[in-house]
Amino acid sequence: MDWTLLLAGFGKVMLNPINFVFVFIGVVAGIIVGALPGLTATMGVALLIPFTFGLDPIQGLVMLIGLFTGGIYGACISSILLGIPGTPAGAATLLDGYTMNKQGQAGKAMGMAVIASWFGGTIGALVMTFASPQIAKVALKFGPPEFFSLAFFGLGIIITISGKSILKGLISGIFGLMLTVVGFDPLSGAPRFTFGSRELLGGISLIPALIGLFGYSQVFKEIEKILILPAVKTELKNLIPKLSEIKSVLKTMIKSSLFGVFIGSIPGTGTDIAAFVAYGEAKRASKHPEKFGTGILEGIAAPESGNNACAGGAMVPMLTLGIPGDAVTAVLLGALTIHNFQPGPMLFRDHPEIVYPIFAAMILSQFVMLFVGLAGARYFARLINIDRRILTPVIFLLCVVGSYAMRFSFFDVGISLIIGIIAYFMYYYEYPGSPILLSIILGPMVEQNLRRSLIISHGDPAIFFTRPISASFIFIGLFIMITSYFRVKKAMDREAEAASLRKQE
Amino acid sequence: MKNVDIGVGVGLLTLSSSLFWCAGNFKDLTVHGYGPDLFPRILAVFMSFLAILLIINAFLGKSLKKEDHIDPRGFLRVLVAIGICIVYLVLVNLLGFATSTFLFLFVLMALLKQKRIILRIIASVTVSIIVWAIFRYFLVIPLPEGLLI
Repeated sequence: MDWTLLLAGFGKVMLNPINFVFVFIGVVAGIIVGALPGLTATMGVALLIPFTFGLDPIQGLVMLIGLFTGGIYGACISSILLGIPGTPAGAATLLDGYTMNKQGQAGKAMGMAVIASWFGGTIGALVMTFASPQIAKVALKFGPPEFFSLAFFGLGIIITISGKSILKGLISGIFGLMLTVVGFDPLSGAPRFTFGSRELLGGISLIPALIGLFGYSQVFKEIEKILILPAVKTELKNLIPKLSEIKSVLKTMIKSSLFGVFIGSIPGTGTDIAAFVAYGEAKRASKHPEKFGTGILEGIAAPESGNNACAGGAMVPMLTLGIPGDAVTAVLLGALTIHNFQPGPMLFRDHPEIVYPIFAAMILSQFVMLFVGLAGARYFARLINIDRRILTPVIFLLCVVGSYAMRFSFFDVGISLIIGIIAYFMYYYEYPGSPILLSIILGPMVEQNLRRSLIISHGDPAIFFTRPISASFIFIGLFIMITSYFRVKKAMDREAEAASLRKQE
Repeated sequence: MKNVDIGVGVGLLTLSSSLFWCAGNFKDLTVHGYGPDLFPRILAVFMSFLAILLIINAFLGKSLKKEDHIDPRGFLRVLVAIGICIVYLVLVNLLGFATSTFLFLFVLMALLKQKRIILRIIASVTVSIIVWAIFRYFLVIPLPEGLLI
């Protein structure tokens, strides 16, 4: 751990007041995006990236990190007030949060959620700050075979994020990899699948693809359905919980945060899983598990500290190895790449001036979230009522502008629209979008390192198995794939069984 | 979803075989045996395998049941919205960013049945001016210019 670098990073972020403004903008935007059902932090980050192009990289990144932080917390607002989670991350908070709202304690529930989110988020950010440099140091010794195995391991995550059908998740994944072979081949310089188009020589750019997958597709869904939500009229009172109440949930918050960081650091798991695991564990360990779900503070403290801590954990493999833990960190990885910083061990060696400010921003954004969350709770509660017939066209516009601004290219807008239309249909036919994103990020890493390794070994694939680190990644990857295959399959079977039972009734 | 699965399966098989075949044309550029055609071909093989599995599953009646349906009238609205977007992309070079953005937002809000015209005008004017100003003065990213701003 290099303390001077860490202090310099903190100084860079904290001593410049303009960074506070950007973190603030990010956190507020994140809370709004998180609170509005249907809009996700992933989409928020994807749409905000174009607004960072003209900015200093640090300012852009602190804003995106603020959005990431705010987005996870924001999900609980609509969970508590509407009984509809803003994003899947807030689904576990609904159980006790919405019940408390019905009992007239919405204010207290919101206050507890902010404090638990801040607590979990800060623990997550601290773990990330201190663990990442160590992991990066080990990863510096990796060669092409190790990076191939690592990317292979990363792609193994596709099985866990496949949704209802593993087969369809894999199809999405391979489709995403196919998109990455368009354009110049980085090793030989040969143009591939460009069909004579000059615009395709550089390949399909990440931002238009992201906006298509997570922006346009959502806009089309909203235009099709015109979502009208019940209006929130709840008055928020007594936002700040009593000290004794905070004390009573402190143990739960510490445990849930640690669970959250750990879950976050495993690629393929996300904030929603962290929230449910933390909730389940708090219930299991509690002396009065029957009270969970009846509107108790612990039922809010556990998932909220769990999912916010998960964010810090998910940043660790993304920053140190270049393997995103979930969809949001995959988009953040894209944001770093666009500012010419390739996440991975080299980032820590070559660009400490960018890594340490990221840590500082992550910690700073927790405090800004605490402040904004408590001070602005009443306004955010009103914002849920925003008219979607006005909001959807604005998001549509941001998608168009965002896909254009990367290269000032109408061609990119077209590509993005096409990907958006494909993603819209994919949703209805149960093909998940996240594996495509993961593949687009990991594709070039898989291909280049596969070929480099085979050139080194003169075509002998044993190179991946004879080097210990590489072999262990492959085996862990296979292990995760096989176990998650059975886990996902079991869950699906159970669901199918429950569905047929319901039918019989 | 049986028929859709079979259709998608056949489509993916066609895609992967053309990918495999097209990749053959890169071969001449290969220097060391692991050229630009290697990875696309591996992907094509994997994809064909998955596509065949999808088709077999569909014939065995193992397709997923559709839970959420596309609403036909809503879908028509999506098509109209895409049309509006294409017109917007043409107009933006003729009229300039701010003006055409205002029209784009105004028409889309009407399509989504926001009936209060004053609200539509205020919202579209404000948003188009804010976005234009952010890009023009704050981020200094060039936007298309036309007859107007």
